Amino acid sequence: MWDGLVIGGGIAGLMAGIRAQERGKRVLIVSEGTGSLAFASGGLDFGTVEQLRKIERHPYALLGETVEEAFAYFLQCCPSYHGAWGRTGMALTPLGTLRAADLLPEGLDASPLTHANRIVLVVPEGLKDFFPEVVKANLQKQFISSNIQLKRIRLKEFADWQAIGKPIPDTVYAKFWCSEQGRETLKNLIGEITRKMVSDSETLVFPGLHAAACPEVEKILAQAPLPVVEMTSFPPSAAGQALYDRLRGRFKALGGELLIGSGVERVEVESGQARRAIVKSKGKEISFTAKVFVLATGGFFGRGSVASSTEVRETVLGLPLYVPPEWSESRFLGEQPYAYTGVEVDHSLHPCDPVTGKVLLENVFVVGRMLAHWDPWVGHCGGGVSLSSGFLAGGLL
Amino acid sequence: MGQGLEKGSVRYSAQVVIIGGGATGVGILRDLSLRGISALLIEQGDLAHGTSSRFHGLLHSGARYAVKDPISAAECIQENAILKRIAPNCLVPTGGWFVQMPGDEMDYMEAWLKGCQTANIPVREIPVQEALEQEPLLAKDVLRVFEVPDAAVDGFKLVWDNAKSARRHGGRYLTYHRVNEVLRDGERVAGVQGENLLTGEAFTVDSLIVVNATGAWADRVAATAGASLDVVCDKGTLLAFNRRLFQRVINRLRSPGDGDIFVPHETITILGTTSDRVDMPSDHQPTAREVQRLLDLGETLLPGIAGKRVIRAFAGVRPLHREDRELAGSFDEEEGREVSRTFAVIDHEAEEGIKGFLSVVGGKFTTYRLMAEKASDWVAGKLGETAPCRTAEEPLLPAFPEHLRQEALALLPCAAAEKMLERLGQEAVAVLERIREDPGKGQLLCECEMVTVAEVEKAVADPDAHHLADVRRKTRLGMGTCQGAFCTYRALPLMWREGEKYDPLGRELVRFLNQRWKGIRPILWGEQLRETEFTRAIYAGLLDLQDNKTITE
Repeated sequence: MWDGLVIGGGIAGLMAGIRAQERGKRVLIVSEGTGSLAFASGGLDFGTVEQLRKIERHPYALLGETVEEAFAYFLQCCPSYHGAWGRTGMALTPLGTLRAADLLPEGLDASPLTHANRIVLVVPEGLKDFFPEVVKANLQKQFISSNIQLKRIRLKEFADWQAIGKPIPDTVYAKFWCSEQGRETLKNLIGEITRKMVSDSETLVFPGLHAAACPEVEKILAQAPLPVVEMTSFPPSAAGQALYDRLRGRFKALGGELLIGSGVERVEVESGQARRAIVKSKGKEISFTAKVFVLATGGFFGRGSVASSTEVRETVLGLPLYVPPEWSESRFLGEQPYAYTGVEVDHSLHPCDPVTGKVLLENVFVVGRMLAHWDPWVGHCGGGVSLSSGFLAGGLL
Repeated sequence: MGQGLEKGSVRYSAQVVIIGGGATGVGILRDLSLRGISALLIEQGDLAHGTSSRFHGLLHSGARYAVKDPISAAECIQENAILKRIAPNCLVPTGGWFVQMPGDEMDYMEAWLKGCQTANIPVREIPVQEALEQEPLLAKDVLRVFEVPDAAVDGFKLVWDNAKSARRHGGRYLTYHRVNEVLRDGERVAGVQGENLLTGEAFTVDSLIVVNATGAWADRVAATAGASLDVVCDKGTLLAFNRRLFQRVINRLRSPGDGDIFVPHETITILGTTSDRVDMPSDHQPTAREVQRLLDLGETLLPGIAGKRVIRAFAGVRPLHREDRELAGSFDEEEGREVSRTFAVIDHEAEEGIKGFLSVVGGKFTTYRLMAEKASDWVAGKLGETAPCRTAEEPLLPAFPEHLRQEALALLPCAAAEKMLERLGQEAVAVLERIREDPGKGQLLCECEMVTVAEVEKAVADPDAHHLADVRRKTRLGMGTCQGAFCTYRALPLMWREGEKYDPLGRELVRFLNQRWKGIRPILWGEQLRETEFTRAIYAGLLDLQDNKTITE
């Protein structure tokens, strides 16, 4: 019997697992996939917490002070991240525009650009989904007085890729920079740019580097005579993957157990308590019992909720969902009601009946995208809700 | 070709002005151009942006009309054979089946077989066992199966190939030009005037003849010349599934009704259609109710259809010409299908004494060429021109040499090469040249529809492309399973290079995403809902693109 069984190993599930494991609990995470971090930028959004908290039923309204605690706790877990509560940072999007972000790996922090009078944009030849001319123009638009230069680099290591015109994913470039040969190349490159430095306030913009995934590269950058700003990347992103690896590594280092590849098929409920999680693997059913279950199955994207043309259901426990009366809105990037679908919970994240408000299961906590009444893309609070609800569940478990 | 008169006004002249850049309009443009008559086509959007691309993409054999509309049936089978000859790269001769299901009237089948025979539509019965082996998803309780020469046709491509062929013979067209008024000079029409929607400039065309081929807009356009037309706007909604559910066109063998035709195209399948009266030609937003109705109806032919992935819903507005005055004022749900789908060429001189003004309404995509021929015969007669119609013999595109295929296959994955050749024909030469110069441009920008960077680059730079949606209609970019999640972003640097043309770029991207969204909203469930979460994560999250905020201006 596990103390806690976390269903879903994305950011919210891992956070719950890490926190509970640290408190001496024995936790098993069962996950169908690896969450959505590899599709994300690697930065984490909290949004304007004070305002979101005032919205009735928004997860922040239930989570209260936990949000700030989770923010601090995350920085402890991931020391390579930077952020200060109440002060939003800035990162470069893949298009070279600036975007707010609350927690960032050091390399993605774009603040050095604000006082650079010369910006050198490194253009790694063939880097996939990276458009140097667009990025340059956007940088110029935002840093009007800066002189922006392109520095194209062509590496013989990727000659085979270039010969057939195959674009090089940033995860592949990141891996190269971390290799011994890559580090040597990187040192020489920075040296070359430094020698040509004409002013003492230059900044390097370096896509596809991802120092956070490689301590040796971080060291090289720390010694560089000029600041190096990285860019977030179009999916899949090395920075997002690095965050996932970091959280998973942390959970395992604390003694947590992780089962990835087969999701929980269903959870059996007896006399108002979740008892047993059934996992289907290689045609066999295996069951796991636990005192407490955390539902971190990632909403529609994670298949924790599934919609058909006629109904919406929660896939593991069959919990009743809040379903908005209207489903979508005409402006794609605007508010989309469907996004508010999810499980309604009390202050301790127990699932409640959306009609009566009654707690349905005392030993289940619902976290992350499974929660009702929030939209990460409108509230810019995806990281915040996931981290803080996971953190709270891990503390209660 | 136009010359500025005063500031902000451009004047053109031609013997004939054609209003409307759908299949009928471009068909007339080509027909007249082949006869050596100078013609200028004016279209308010992009060519084929309306009803001519908002249908099943079914090239009828005529069998669907065999019982109720023998004239249409005979016209269809003739045109079907002609188009297979002159436009082979716009269609796929998939063949079609008419399948009878339990409960379908026996009498109908008898009448249908007789009707097909009368119209000269070849019919062959397929044993049920064999049919189920060839189409494993077809309902097992099917009773009878008959094969007819239906085919799948690409509406965008057929329209563009007509336009290009017309241009080779001196025909001209102006897109994003809206006609505001048909000009009169006493009893005669004198041309048209309107606005260039891209620049806001006014324009005038002097002409002897005006042809109104504006489909569902026809009555509104006719009214500006003081003529009246009775056109019924009939909305038909369709669903696109993410794969080829069937290998051929599947029709239900019964009185034509809603949701009883499946047409396979490339990697997808289209199910349609519904038939509902709407007030405006622009009322083509599909509704969730129509979608559900299509799924319920489609279930009979394809059990388990609700579990298949729908990638979008779309609707077109058919212009039905209501000649039968008895129907006037008594419109009910069924009427849309009852009003004749044969076409009408209306001489407004005979009707209302307006000389030189012709409207072409009704009809269907399959018979666009025949409608164009009749209209062009009328025009030629008025102008005293005697050159005969050549559109039934002259292929739309010059055949491309076999070595072009070999070159394409050497540079691209074979499926991508074949698709590109189908889309571009001889124009593929320029794309292959780009790829040879820079192998990176051979990469697939749109992975769903297998479109290379080089091809999109060419389409983006095309003088006829003014919006990303225009590029989509030429390349199928964003029309596959991901509905633009990846390719919208990847098209951005190519549009960027075009400078002012797509400015402001951020707004152009938002516009494109919103257009794709329009077709996804009514089918927002299952995997397409997951795809939506992902697409929003990219554009609203990662790129921080907002509706009211532009990037890269």
